[in-house]
Amino acid sequence: MNSFMKKHKPLITKLIFIVVFLSIWEYVSIGNKLGPKTEIILPSLGAIGKAFVKNFVQGYAGQSLWIYIGNSMWILLVGLFIGILLAFVFSGLSIINETFRYIYDFMVSIFDLLPGIALLPVVIIIFGIRVEVIIFLVVHSVLWPMSRNILDGFSSIPRIFIEAGKNINLRGLDLVLSIYLPAAATHIISGLKSGWARAWRGLISAEMIFGIASSPGLGLYINQMRTNLNNAEMYATLLVIIIVGAFVQYGILQPIENHTIRKWGMVR
Amino acid sequence: MKDNLVLRVNNLSKEFTNNNETNEVIKDLSLSVEENTFTCILGPSGCGKTTLLRCIAGFEDYAGEIFVDDVLCKEPGIDRIMVFQDFNQLFPWKTVIGNIKFALKKNGVTDASEQEKIAKEMLEKTHLSGFEDYYPHQLSGGMKQRVAIAKALALKPRIILMDEPFAALDAMTRTELQNEVLKIFEENNITFIFITHNIQEAIMLGDRIIVLGLGGEVLIDEENHIQKPVTPASNGYGDLWKKLHDSLYLAKR
Ligand SMILES: Nc1ncnc2c1ncn2[C@@H]1O[C@H](COP(=O)(O)OP(=O)(O)O)[C@@H](O)[C@H]1O
Ligand SMILES: [Mg+2]
Repeated sequence: MNSFMKKHKPLITKLIFIVVFLSIWEYVSIGNKLGPKTEIILPSLGAIGKAFVKNFVQGYAGQSLWIYIGNSMWILLVGLFIGILLAFVFSGLSIINETFRYIYDFMVSIFDLLPGIALLPVVIIIFGIRVEVIIFLVVHSVLWPMSRNILDGFSSIPRIFIEAGKNINLRGLDLVLSIYLPAAATHIISGLKSGWARAWRGLISAEMIFGIASSPGLGLYINQMRTNLNNAEMYATLLVIIIVGAFVQYGILQPIENHTIRKWGMVR
Repeated sequence: MKDNLVLRVNNLSKEFTNNNETNEVIKDLSLSVEENTFTCILGPSGCGKTTLLRCIAGFEDYAGEIFVDDVLCKEPGIDRIMVFQDFNQLFPWKTVIGNIKFALKKNGVTDASEQEKIAKEMLEKTHLSGFEDYYPHQLSGGMKQRVAIAKALALKPRIILMDEPFAALDAMTRTELQNEVLKIFEENNITFIFITHNIQEAIMLGDRIIVLGLGGEVLIDEENHIQKPVTPASNGYGDLWKKLHDSLYLAKR
């Protein structure tokens, strides 16, 4: 028993924390401890649970929450795909051409500092409120941190790998694809992690501020719940956002890491 | 003039510039190496042994000319495969056999079963059968060096360049690997250039021993006729050891 406790201490600690947290929540909510508005501020767990189901069954404006999740994920995927692809292409070109490297490195340093959401008004003035604007934001969110990580990864590759690569006649693009990319995998994966997290946050914020009717997403949904004072539904949607995030983190990114840098002994 | 020279280094000079300070590491060095010979290069630390090998491998810019089989070479290529001292020269993202197969694939061996066959044969030669599917991080230092040697052999280079490949190994593993390299040399037609700062290692392996002094000056360059396998009890060992030791000691001053 004792060794069981020791082995699973992290998990048990988390479980206890969750149970305590939910108990306090329920105590405050049921007992109206925050005054007459308690039910609006902290709906009971039962109400949130019902709202969770209602979100999917009934949804909003005649559409289930699934539709909103699907729209958000589609925009996210398209944006991530374009952003990651561009990051690889531009960072790869930086290896092959020195002038390009100086310019690109400079651009990355500048745009990395610019929150995408701050850029949105400008983009909307130019393109109008369209789905492409939000995709643009996702691309912007992932492109620069991803590029920064890839470039840093490239410049910290041990010289011996590059020389061993040149020794077996690898040059140019071949050298980039066969040596630079795998050798920088640790950096690339941490770029993926921070890039996706930024894109996910940026996406939800953009949808909340400039909800797009032609492609309503999670951000728009949660904002509608807020304006209609459907607070239990609002909390339930927050839960969904966390679940989606956890799914990407543990269902996609973690396995990628396990099958690459962990298997290769490049991280402990 | 011998006509089976595989390597000619003509008037090689190499300097490094750091913070406006120029350090001339090799000054006007010329030497040539015959085919299928084992040349050991000794020299005090910092005399430019690694730099010389890196110039031959094509990893550095330099003044002078280096010919392999009478072809001028400035770029790295598989006619000169380098085995580094650093254990971490294998690609960690490929398995043991993957490292070798990849090198073959990039150099004209397109048939997968042919790659497999050559790689397995070389791994057998270096006593690594059974470790094909290991990743480099799962191997000991000695095993990693064996893989690097197997990879070099697989590519059939004209010269294998070795830069103190066993210096960081424990004594027992080092002796084992020395014997294996010697066996590989005797059974195959390969030219070795082997750098070491260990006199015993040079006498044990080399059929020619060169001592470099500061500035890459050739202090000693002679054939080693001691019967192999060499032990400290071998005829002539003591005299040669003393001669090499003395010149190294002088070179250091
Ligand atoms: N990349 C470099 N930049 C500047 N100096 C270097 C570099 N590589 C080697 N040197 C210098 O060249 C000299 C010879 O180095 P090296 O060839 O490594 O010596 P050895 O292998 O004989 O010990 C040393 O003084 C070293 O500091
Ligand atoms: Mg050295």
